[in-house]
Amino acid sequence: MRKQERRALICLLLAMVLLTGVVVFGARFVKEGGKWASFYGNSQIYTEGVINRGTVCDRNDEVLLECTSDGPYYSDDWEVRRATVHAVGDPHGNIASGAINIFKSQLIGYDILNGTYDTSAQGKRIKLTIDARANVTAYEMLGDRTGLVGVYNWKTGEILCMVSTPTFDPADGIPEDDGNGYFFNNFLDGTITPGSTFKLVTAAAVIDNLPGRDSFLFDCDGVNEYNGVDFTDVESHGEVDFRGALAQSCNGAFGELTREVGASAMQEYTEKAGLTEPVDVNGVMSARGSFTFPADDNVTLSWAGIGQADDLVNPCAMRVYMGAIANDGEAVQPTLIKSATFLRELTGGKTLGRYLEKDTARELRSMMKNNVVENYGEYNYEGLDIYAKSGTAETGSYYPDAWFVGFTDDENAPYAFVVWVKEGGYGSEVAGPIAREVIRTLEQNNS
Amino acid sequence: MENILYRILNIAQTYPELAREVTTVLRWVFVVLAAYILLLSIFSLLTTRCTPEIWGYFLVENGGNYPITHWENVIGRSRSADINIPVRTISGNHAILARRDDTKWILKSLSETSDTVVNGYKLIPGRRYLINTGDEIVAGGVHCTVAPASIEESRNNEKMRRLDKEPVAPWMILLAITLFQMLTIVQLIISMGEDLTPGAVISIVLLCVVMWTYVMVFKAMGRKGFEMEMIAFFMTTINLAVTSSWNPGNTVKEFVSMMLGLSLMIFMCFYMRDLERTRRLKPVLIGLSVIVLILNLLLGTIKYGAANWITIGGFSFQPSEIVKLAFICVGAGTLEELYQKNSTIMYAAFSLFCLGCLAIMGDFGTALIFFTTYLVVSFLRSGDLSRMILTGVGAGLMGLMVLRFKPYIASRFDVWGHVWEFADDQGYQQTRTMSFGAGGGLLGLGAGNGSLKYVGASSTDLVFGFVMEEWGFIIAVLLVLCIITLTIFAVMSIMAGRSTFFTICACGAATIFLVQTILNVFGAVDLFPLTGVTFPFVSTGGTSMLTSWAMLAYFKTADMRRASSLAVEKEEHNA
Repeated sequence: MRKQERRALICLLLAMVLLTGVVVFGARFVKEGGKWASFYGNSQIYTEGVINRGTVCDRNDEVLLECTSDGPYYSDDWEVRRATVHAVGDPHGNIASGAINIFKSQLIGYDILNGTYDTSAQGKRIKLTIDARANVTAYEMLGDRTGLVGVYNWKTGEILCMVSTPTFDPADGIPEDDGNGYFFNNFLDGTITPGSTFKLVTAAAVIDNLPGRDSFLFDCDGVNEYNGVDFTDVESHGEVDFRGALAQSCNGAFGELTREVGASAMQEYTEKAGLTEPVDVNGVMSARGSFTFPADDNVTLSWAGIGQADDLVNPCAMRVYMGAIANDGEAVQPTLIKSATFLRELTGGKTLGRYLEKDTARELRSMMKNNVVENYGEYNYEGLDIYAKSGTAETGSYYPDAWFVGFTDDENAPYAFVVWVKEGGYGSEVAGPIAREVIRTLEQNNS
Repeated sequence: MENILYRILNIAQTYPELAREVTTVLRWVFVVLAAYILLLSIFSLLTTRCTPEIWGYFLVENGGNYPITHWENVIGRSRSADINIPVRTISGNHAILARRDDTKWILKSLSETSDTVVNGYKLIPGRRYLINTGDEIVAGGVHCTVAPASIEESRNNEKMRRLDKEPVAPWMILLAITLFQMLTIVQLIISMGEDLTPGAVISIVLLCVVMWTYVMVFKAMGRKGFEMEMIAFFMTTINLAVTSSWNPGNTVKEFVSMMLGLSLMIFMCFYMRDLERTRRLKPVLIGLSVIVLILNLLLGTIKYGAANWITIGGFSFQPSEIVKLAFICVGAGTLEELYQKNSTIMYAAFSLFCLGCLAIMGDFGTALIFFTTYLVVSFLRSGDLSRMILTGVGAGLMGLMVLRFKPYIASRFDVWGHVWEFADDQGYQQTRTMSFGAGGGLLGLGAGNGSLKYVGASSTDLVFGFVMEEWGFIIAVLLVLCIITLTIFAVMSIMAGRSTFFTICACGAATIFLVQTILNVFGAVDLFPLTGVTFPFVSTGGTSMLTSWAMLAYFKTADMRRASSLAVEKEEHNA
């Protein structure tokens, strides 16, 4: 019998297999339960393939989308619908980064204890960080043009405005064919030639690598030939120093500064600025920017240093970099959801680490102020403590893309922003006012 | 009573919001009750270990006084021998000393090289001899004898056993299960309203009545251990609730099958009290199994992809389920049989026949259960690990061949591990199981509120997900723990087992339960390809329910705790 005693342990081995499997499944259940439960096959929460419960509202409790068993109901205001559709998403999931997609499990009211059990069967209310009114302002300012406006609080990481055009009215029916890029969220998914806004990265490299930058002088003749190639500026800037070169956005001067800094430092500072990595927004990864800084080709290197050549930046990453400059070099992760769960509340304002040395950030900040004072005109931004850099990116079209990036530093309005208008024309003149109006709306609505 | 039920229905329909609140609370109550019922039973089963009884002493010259704690003992030099005499002239496995039902002792020499002499008579190896206590045995030149347990020692033994922890009294558990059943009826009325048939309600009430009757009758007969039955009654309650939610019209059938299973179990328990009688049944069982399987091959109808059903007079059943019962008994053997050469050949041939039939039917899930059980049982018999591995590998290669020729099965292997990519074709059932199951959370949506029931085979192959959705993850996992507990109990029972026959039966039954649960749960949640196997007691299906209950008899025969099991005659304990 003693032999059989020992051999019987093989049954325990089988029992171990069962136990292990259940533990493995249990771990998956804990980790993926929300995802499983919000799977479209779950007819408890989907009616005809459309989620049937949950409400999405903006930071001021304005309802943007209400999912019911009779179908989804959007805001009554068509402008709100068009301005927020990329943030809210569509019930069919065409906009992958829409809240209805990413926060599905919160929307249906999933939690591990109750699953999808809900006495009211109305789901949960998801409060987004965006401000519907500011989105409408941005949408109105962009008009029919392709473009984007992104604003976030660089202290807390809350995204206040995220508008991408072209857009569509989800209440009018979802476009079947996306040939026009309706579903594409330029802000998260786009990679765009940054133009002169990229000089803020080159400037950071200069500050850290060229101790003699204060004595830097460049004589801009408007053509600025180098190696047989013209680094043309709109006008001749005459003799500019480092600060002046940024304020005037002098291509000639920044071409030379880029060459002095060198390819490897440019690469290093682009990476440090977080522009080569995707940004994680509540689990949705933004597109990844790409840059090439050839060490053996000074002409291309110079173009790359002024935001042309192969440079492609993701707007969301650019905005995080703006936030880092504002925040003494430390970047804060953006988020779209406002305290839906306790955990989110805790992780809000999560730091992404140090992008710049404190002194570097301070110097850049002062130069960005100088840009406004010297070039864009403080009177254009009355009442705003604004720091900015414009960009006019050549993409081969007749009109260049207009950029305006930067941040404000008011106690109630610590906003980092990115505005881009495709083929909009001259940067600060086109994109600047959009940023101004959106921030003003935000200040009115949220102070 | 009908009045009460209609009043509940009335209230639920008039005040739907109140009804929802009731469900909200009930979900917690169910989990707490289930945890109480099952953890108490599990704890009692695993902690009330019994002191092995001493049936006599084996005395060896120059010291050596071995208490005999099993009915079947190997005497030998080998360290694994029950009576281990480390003398070089004695063979590793020298002889078997076995106690008969009538308290007489049998001695059988196994050694060809070393003699065994009783009262001057040299035993012929392989032949059984009746010996008396006090007879002089000379094994390999060593003088020994069997001494009866003295009355005083018996008393001491008795005292020791009184110190053993008693199995938990069944009353509180019975009350908890009863409450659980009544609340289940309330919950089903709330969730299903008029869709719930009177038959379904009556079945649950009758289950409760049967449960109380069973315990009271056997309690009156002096039995104390009811944990295994409590576990089975609880699992059956979940079964009836699942069936009611899925198709209320089928609940009565489940109940009737459970009654048949319970009756068969009681019959088997009484029958197996007599080891010799049970052993003699083996050829009959083999014959019956062969006939039933051949009938299945001839008359079988295809249901759910495998031709493993027979329909006679409107009743369909799965013969292979019933053959499982015989399969265990055929595989079991007394210690004596295990040392008989070629004793395994009959079993191997029978297994091969069963597997062949199942392969022809295309029931590969059940074939896998039979095969694993065969491996475990033959390992228990022979202890030959290498042969077991070899057989396993050989079968694995055969399995690969099957995959080549049965594209239907191969496609299940294709999606294994990434069912979400095939969510609307081959992965349909698994993704729904996980999605609806996760929707149940830890507490479940409430019986009758699930949606997995609209997916094919939800109450059988996917029942784990069904329970997760309606009863919650906690109760689903508790059900798995029940099966694991029965296994641990079966293994523990060997320590005090009478005969290897019973312990092999218990381990074989445990293996069948385990493999079924593994295939059912793992298949439903994509840890293993979906094979379409039932979860013991819980899956809907008459034959499965009947077999699960009858299988319980094998666990009961191994329960040697004092006055616990109806499968062990009271006198067989040293009274």
